[in-house]
Amino acid sequence: MPSQESDRIASAQQTLDILYEMSQLLNTHLDKETLTTCVRMIESGINPEALAAVIQELRRENAALVGRA
Amino acid sequence: MSSSTSLIPALESLVYSLVPASRNDEPLKNELVAHCQEILTSRIGQSHEPDIGHLADSVKRQLLQSTPSGTTALKFTNLLSRLLDQHVLSKKHASIQFLQSLASSRLLSSSSVPFLPSLAPPPPTRPSPSPSSLEQSSTLLQPSRKSKAEQLSEYREQSGRPHLPEYLLLRDTLYLLQGISGKYIRLSSQNDSNQLEFVDNTKYIISAPTKALIHRLSEVGYLYSRVDAFVREREGSSGVGMIEQSLCHHLQTKLTEYYRLIAVLESQMPSVNVSGGGSATDLRDRETSLTLRRLDVWINEWRLRMRMMSVCVEGARESQGGALVNLIHSYTDNGDPFIRKFTDQLLEEVSKPFFSTLHKWLFSGELYDPFNEFFVAMDPGLAHVQYMHPSSLTGNINQLAGDSFVSPDQDDPRDRRGGLTIWQAKYKFEQNMLPMFVGEAFGRKILSTGKSLNFIRYSCHDSDWVVTREKMSNTGGSLKYSDIAGLERSIDAAYSTASQRLFDVFIEKFRLLNHLSALKNYMMLGHGDFADQLINALGPSLSRPANTLYRHNLTATLETAIRSSNAQNDPPDVLRRLDARMLEYSHGEIGWDVFTLEYKVDPPIDTVIHPDAMVKYLKLFNHLWQMKRIEGALSRGWMRVAGGARSTFLRLPDLEPSWHKMRIIMAEMIHFVKQLQAYCQLEVIECSWKVLVEFLNKREGDLDAMNDAHRTYLDRLVKKILLLSPKAGREENVMNQVKDLFVTILQFQDAMENFYNFCLTESTRRDQRLDFDRGLYTGPQDPNSSLEENLPRLLQPVDDYGSQFSEKVQTLVAALQTHPDLDCRFLGVRLNFSEYYRGKQQKEKEKERAETATPK
Repeated sequence: MPSQESDRIASAQQTLDILYEMSQLLNTHLDKETLTTCVRMIESGINPEALAAVIQELRRENAALVGRA
Repeated sequence: MSSSTSLIPALESLVYSLVPASRNDEPLKNELVAHCQEILTSRIGQSHEPDIGHLADSVKRQLLQSTPSGTTALKFTNLLSRLLDQHVLSKKHASIQFLQSLASSRLLSSSSVPFLPSLAPPPPTRPSPSPSSLEQSSTLLQPSRKSKAEQLSEYREQSGRPHLPEYLLLRDTLYLLQGISGKYIRLSSQNDSNQLEFVDNTKYIISAPTKALIHRLSEVGYLYSRVDAFVREREGSSGVGMIEQSLCHHLQTKLTEYYRLIAVLESQMPSVNVSGGGSATDLRDRETSLTLRRLDVWINEWRLRMRMMSVCVEGARESQGGALVNLIHSYTDNGDPFIRKFTDQLLEEVSKPFFSTLHKWLFSGELYDPFNEFFVAMDPGLAHVQYMHPSSLTGNINQLAGDSFVSPDQDDPRDRRGGLTIWQAKYKFEQNMLPMFVGEAFGRKILSTGKSLNFIRYSCHDSDWVVTREKMSNTGGSLKYSDIAGLERSIDAAYSTASQRLFDVFIEKFRLLNHLSALKNYMMLGHGDFADQLINALGPSLSRPANTLYRHNLTATLETAIRSSNAQNDPPDVLRRLDARMLEYSHGEIGWDVFTLEYKVDPPIDTVIHPDAMVKYLKLFNHLWQMKRIEGALSRGWMRVAGGARSTFLRLPDLEPSWHKMRIIMAEMIHFVKQLQAYCQLEVIECSWKVLVEFLNKREGDLDAMNDAHRTYLDRLVKKILLLSPKAGREENVMNQVKDLFVTILQFQDAMENFYNFCLTESTRRDQRLDFDRGLYTGPQDPNSSLEENLPRLLQPVDDYGSQFSEKVQTLVAALQTHPDLDCRFLGVRLNFSEYYRGKQQKEKEKERAETATPK
């Protein structure tokens, strides 16, 4: 049913908005797109703390790259 | 990993977005993705807590730390609740945890989650000033970064006696707090002294101050184990009172709070860092997480609480019920607001069963107290005695009129316990069970109220009223410890309604006043016409020996006396209770000695007019009946003396002086009896009656007060009518004198009767002689009956009894003059009117004096 589908999308959107707001509150510096990816990964069963470590690692890597550049 | 294939695109996108440089650099991207996968498959963060509440708490705490105003925390709460409403995500807590761990990694300065923020000491960032000798001797790489404490501990480690690491002690202490022996510190269970035992360890030592600290801490653990043991023991055993049960419940709640604290403290334990000190995280831990000293501070309040609980527990072992409430209440008078608050709370809980019992007792008169905790105790022997008022079944007393009474000697002794016994002994007051906050006066009132209700319900069979009132009272809110003023108000209200109702029931439904006045009228001869009729009808048969009297004759005569006097207008319910019977007689007694009237009452009136009172009424009747008898005899005699002897048919002028003398003596006797009667009827009975009726019309107080009023009334009657003096052993002295006087009067009457008869024969003889002189034959002469011979023999006793009487009255008057009772003394004054006897005494004394004076 399309209406149900649209409901689902809307509520998913809302959930994402809430999470985004939270992430802003917590000062995580994640943009909306990355957050969406992360949430999707967590939903698929990835350990959240490990994922956080990944994000940090990547950030560090990026900083190193930028510093080198 | 099965999800690895689906993972890679996601990871790639992450890498792209976070490391923009990798977009153009394929090997870098691959390397990063591989690295990421490695991290993900590693064991980082395996130990996550699935509890979203806890997670939220820690996030909030974190937020509070960054912005102490709390707005962000509030906002977060708001967001969280909205998130929880959404159904799209299945792993909300994981998402939040992700965010949190990301956030906490960014807050580098205060990244740990301090539970005890206020306790965080300033970070020891100060570098040690100058290297000491100790420092130099050590082999540390960065001596300048070490604090002195660290240096000391390292020194100890090197010298072979390192201190036991604090986290180990801490863990053990937390065990101790729960009453469990730890690894290094044990609770010694030997010889009951509950000592702490530090396990000797050659590798480590525990310093003395630490030991002292642990001792302090373990006190709480010891108290906890006692309280816990008590609660468990009571849970298991049966027959535990309700107050105790509620105490246990309260203690259990407190213990749960304590468990919570322990759990929180445990979560604050520094993570066991096997790698040794020196790292940054260890330092951070030490700054913010639990130490023994912090534990002491945290546990401090609980130490006090545990002490209170343990005291209560100790008290509960010895006392029970109300006494236990009392014990707890004695701690509320404390200057320490903490203790006061704690005990108030405790009391509020603990007194709940007490108040529910009180409520039941106060408003429905039912004692529901399966564990004997209430301050009203029921006598188990009387518990089943709830006598049935037969009329209550039909609802009409008059229908019973035809039924016969069960005669007292057929009564089962157990049933003989009247309403008074039930009223007085069924419920007892237990002083030591009375909670102090109620107060004894109120306790008595409560007892009386409940008793009244119970009595109304079971003895008066008026349960409808009680039930209605109970319903009404339920709207008035419940009784609570915290509302003592309201409690007192409701007690007062309940007391007055119950007493009022009891009075109403007694006076209107059971016609107490009618019965009392019937007792006054019949037993105390208040109905003069009835008494006259009875004495006239019974008089002849009562002079016969007691064994010739039959009860049916007596009752028939009684019936006649009732019919022929005003008494017939009394309600039939009163008349049917009136009965005539004989007391137990011994040989030689005549009817006058054994006859008695009886008035029968049945429950619940017998609570007021109880058997003991009945005995007193019988005593009074006896005395008054004797008085009446004397009065009757005297009036008959007076008719002889005044009418017959005066010249109608006795024409013996030479005996006129003797008759005159007799009339004087008789007048004295009549005066005596009349005064006595007037005193009894007017001054004693009527006055006391007035007081009693006034009291009953006032309708104040409870059944006890009513009983007391009746008892004082009756006691006063007995004391004054029987002229009892309070002197021990001589109570009945005066009474015996009066009885003696009665006997003298009767003897005098007999003597006078003989003399009268003699006079009649003498008069006939003289008539005969006159007739003979005139020449008429009137029969054979009686030569023996000569006047000169018989006169002294007949006059002597009359004279003797007359003077005896006079003397006896004189002594009686003397005795009455010193009688402690004012009314009795006044009777003496009336008997001795115009100081007749005193004058006589003085005259005699003067005569004696003259006699002694003349020979000289």
